Amino acid sequence: MMLLEAIILTVITASTPLLIAALGELVVEKSGVLNLGVEGMMIMGAACGIAAAIFTGSSAAGVLAAILAGMAMAALFGALTLGLAANQVAAGLALAIFGLGLSGMVGAGFVGAQRAGIGKIEVPLLSDIPLLGPVLFNQDPFVYASFALVFLVARFLNRTKAGLVLRACGENHAAAHALGYPVLRIRFLAVLFGGACAGLAGAYMSLVLTPFWSSGMTGGRGWIALAIVVFASWLPGRAAVGAYLFGGITILQLHAQGAGLRVPPQLMSALPYLITIVVLVLIMRLRRGGAAGPASLGVPFVPDR
Amino acid sequence: MRLVLETRSQTPPALALGAPLLAVALTLVSAVLIFAALGQDPWRALQVYFIAPVSDSWGLQEVAVKATPLVLISVGLSLCYRSNNWNIGAEGQFLVGAMAGGWLALATHGAPNGPWLMPAMLAAGAAGGALFALIPAVLRTRFGANEILTSLMLVYVAELLLDWLVRGPWRDPQGFNMPVTVSFEPEAIVPLLLEGGRLNVGTPIALLVVVLAAVLVGRTLKGVEIRLVGEAPRAARFAGFDTNRLTLTVFAISGGLAGLAGVLEAAGTVKMLQPGLSPGYGFTAIIVAFLGRLNPVGCLVAGVFLAITFIGGENAQIMLRMPLDATRVIQGLLLFYVLACDTLLLYRPRLVASTPA
Amino acid sequence: MTLTRRLLLGSAGALAGAALPGSQADAQSRLSVGVVLIGPVGDFGWSHMHDQGRRRMAEVLGDRVAATTVESVAPPDFDRVVTQLVRTGHRLIFTTSFSYFAPTQRIAPQHPGVFFENATGPTMLPNMAIYNARFYEGRYIQGVIAARKSRTKTIGYVATFPVPEVIHAINTVMRGAWSVDPAMKVRVVWVNAWSNPAREADAARALIDQGCDVLCSHTDGPAPLQLANERGIFGFGQASDMTRFAPRAHLTSSVNNWGDYYAERAQAVIAGTWQPKDTWGGLGSGMFRMAPWTNMTPEEVSEAERIRDAIASGRLHPFEGPIVRQDGTAVIPAGQRLDDNQIRAQNYFYQGIDASIPG
Repeated sequence: MMLLEAIILTVITASTPLLIAALGELVVEKSGVLNLGVEGMMIMGAACGIAAAIFTGSSAAGVLAAILAGMAMAALFGALTLGLAANQVAAGLALAIFGLGLSGMVGAGFVGAQRAGIGKIEVPLLSDIPLLGPVLFNQDPFVYASFALVFLVARFLNRTKAGLVLRACGENHAAAHALGYPVLRIRFLAVLFGGACAGLAGAYMSLVLTPFWSSGMTGGRGWIALAIVVFASWLPGRAAVGAYLFGGITILQLHAQGAGLRVPPQLMSALPYLITIVVLVLIMRLRRGGAAGPASLGVPFVPDR
Repeated sequence: MRLVLETRSQTPPALALGAPLLAVALTLVSAVLIFAALGQDPWRALQVYFIAPVSDSWGLQEVAVKATPLVLISVGLSLCYRSNNWNIGAEGQFLVGAMAGGWLALATHGAPNGPWLMPAMLAAGAAGGALFALIPAVLRTRFGANEILTSLMLVYVAELLLDWLVRGPWRDPQGFNMPVTVSFEPEAIVPLLLEGGRLNVGTPIALLVVVLAAVLVGRTLKGVEIRLVGEAPRAARFAGFDTNRLTLTVFAISGGLAGLAGVLEAAGTVKMLQPGLSPGYGFTAIIVAFLGRLNPVGCLVAGVFLAITFIGGENAQIMLRMPLDATRVIQGLLLFYVLACDTLLLYRPRLVASTPA
Repeated sequence: MTLTRRLLLGSAGALAGAALPGSQADAQSRLSVGVVLIGPVGDFGWSHMHDQGRRRMAEVLGDRVAATTVESVAPPDFDRVVTQLVRTGHRLIFTTSFSYFAPTQRIAPQHPGVFFENATGPTMLPNMAIYNARFYEGRYIQGVIAARKSRTKTIGYVATFPVPEVIHAINTVMRGAWSVDPAMKVRVVWVNAWSNPAREADAARALIDQGCDVLCSHTDGPAPLQLANERGIFGFGQASDMTRFAPRAHLTSSVNNWGDYYAERAQAVIAGTWQPKDTWGGLGSGMFRMAPWTNMTPEEVSEAERIRDAIASGRLHPFEGPIVRQDGTAVIPAGQRLDDNQIRAQNYFYQGIDASIPG
């Protein structure tokens, strides 16, 4: 029981940055924009987060700086792809390169610097429930935020008018424009939200998971977040499933290694990727057809005045 | 005041030339500012970054060596993207091609071989890459599994497979347990074009591929099919084109070209198999494909351009002692400018007085 | 020989000067040294410490050297980077990864006037030396300390890739631990990365959850040590003094110091006395040292120091027989020692290590 609880706790912390970044990108893609630069925004969040936290001595300032850094990167992307209708795929990939470089410059002065991580917040009483208590009610603030985000994003997209309009922009931007909605403005806000989430995910890595700076420390998690959005068929609840599945396999294979399972570690490391593919195929088989992405995804929109 | 874009009915010829030049000019201005901010002499920095890579025969050869895999991969990817097939796993297909071709080199190591070996390796590399690319293609056509996810995930699988092979079954027995295979024998190394440089047969192959792809897209029924499926999938279905078969075809072509690039890199520049065989060529090629507007000749130009910026970045580290990160920032900015200026070709930007919506 | 070298170098310098106004003065008045790194300077691990070594060399030699670092050089780019370094007048080039061993061996003969040094490579050439540190000596001490500290008799090892360097490091931890208590076990998790802090932390969590209460790590950053601190167990730092990252958990760190070696070799080039040699520096050489002992009792400290001094002076050899493989077969009987090549070529684990090596 103790081991199970420990494994679940580790799975949640490992999956949280993936989940937060994926939820942000999900909203972006729902509005019809494909931003492949999640990794670049995330690493900027990580660098600016730890830099600001060390500089000011405040974790809150660090988190805020990370969110702003992610948003600034997203704004750059938005200006290019929405303001100038530039190609989204290429701009997103360029953003990833740019972010990797810029984060290295921001972080250069903080290599080897150290600060304490952000601690856990225990919910009184509830955290005493066996298994569920520690897993759900004794976590760091980011984990609570990720739980809330799943709920809020799902609610926003499905139950609010603003969410409906955002989805309309993603499905058919010409029609949304004809109905008088400011497609570009809505998309820009969605892109900013995606940047904020990616920045927050980066802050989680440099302020909570491993509180220090090291070049390229996001280690490709931005790309995995992109894959999770696709895995989720653009549904927030399923993004949580995808993130926990991926994180879960990652942790379980580490445990299997530690327990002395005689399997090549490369195969173990490949398992999260392979199992994600297999699960996706199974899901698609179960309900044939499956959900397609937003119809206008990646297509630039230029309003005729 | 706000900026609006107006669609151009056609691109003025002067702009087709002017837009890239404007991008370059903007980049130069920003680069000067950045270099100055970093305490560098801007003129010398510009010279090191952009002129030195192309200022002599050795430099030009190196640009060609660096551009070759980018061009090969991006030409294949452009066919995919034109027909709305999102293969983003070229990096994995590159590695599998290197492994497939490298396997032949290892299998014949120390055994009698001949001039047939190199063509066979190239064919094996292309076949390996194509087969590996067919996995996401089949998963999509058979099960509807999204190819963005599957092709990306398979990149990591390919990396780990290479890692396992060079540490396990393919490890050089005399290599002190280092994760490398034996160095390939001379017959298994891509022939050089010129003495004293690194330019090899791979570059003319890439040029040939560009020409063939241009003909395919512009002059054949397959090209019409690719474009139609991408631009008007429903019309394509009415026209009787089998979109599933096209998906398999373009994935196989792009995977094959990525695999070819992989075996050329393994047998040309690295001359063995080892982890870290690709500095992200498969991902960079995606940018190249879009910078080249999904057009084979455009991919060639964009590939050379990106190669120059990579080598310029190395030069800046060596001659100006600038950190790698600064060179990445400049490369990113450069791409932003090129993309932004590209807009001018399709749209006419105009400042208008803002009106409440 | 020297004359031809001078001649060659002169022309290389002139070439560089012609291509790049301004670099001529550099090339002639001081020795240009190139350092090629496999990772980013900011990895706070292997590449970072080599860059620190470059800084240290510049401090020691001052105006006599000018050093250049090229970061994150992938194998396909290696030849170009090295050629460009040579063309711009660099006469001493450190290639700081085993990934560069074969390429360095290939390219060194093409530039007979330039001196190459490959870190962790196994063989030399007339203008190519090899160097490494006997980090395993520090691992032995870690094993001893771990066995003293562990309650669960289980050490966790966050491993990178199964290369000889890592394998014999794990084996020496085991030997050190056994010298105290033959009941000790080592659990290993491979993360398949040199630097991926969050995954290192996850691996550390898995090991701790499985009952390990002292962590060793081979990855670049302080992530596993931080985790040890958070979970109230012990750990060791890697590459630099990591005391500050884990004030309660840190026992000692193995601190790399390449700088003095770099300075010595650069000085040899300046003096014209450079010779190819195989340097595998141990605790006695100053290539690495054990950082301050922390969170240890005075008895534990004195034992650790006694063992450190015994290894440094050669009285204690970490690979003294009998050595038994995981599968029970003997490697060497009592009374024998592994020689350097045998140490380097280890591709098997010792008894008591609960993990497998791929391949």
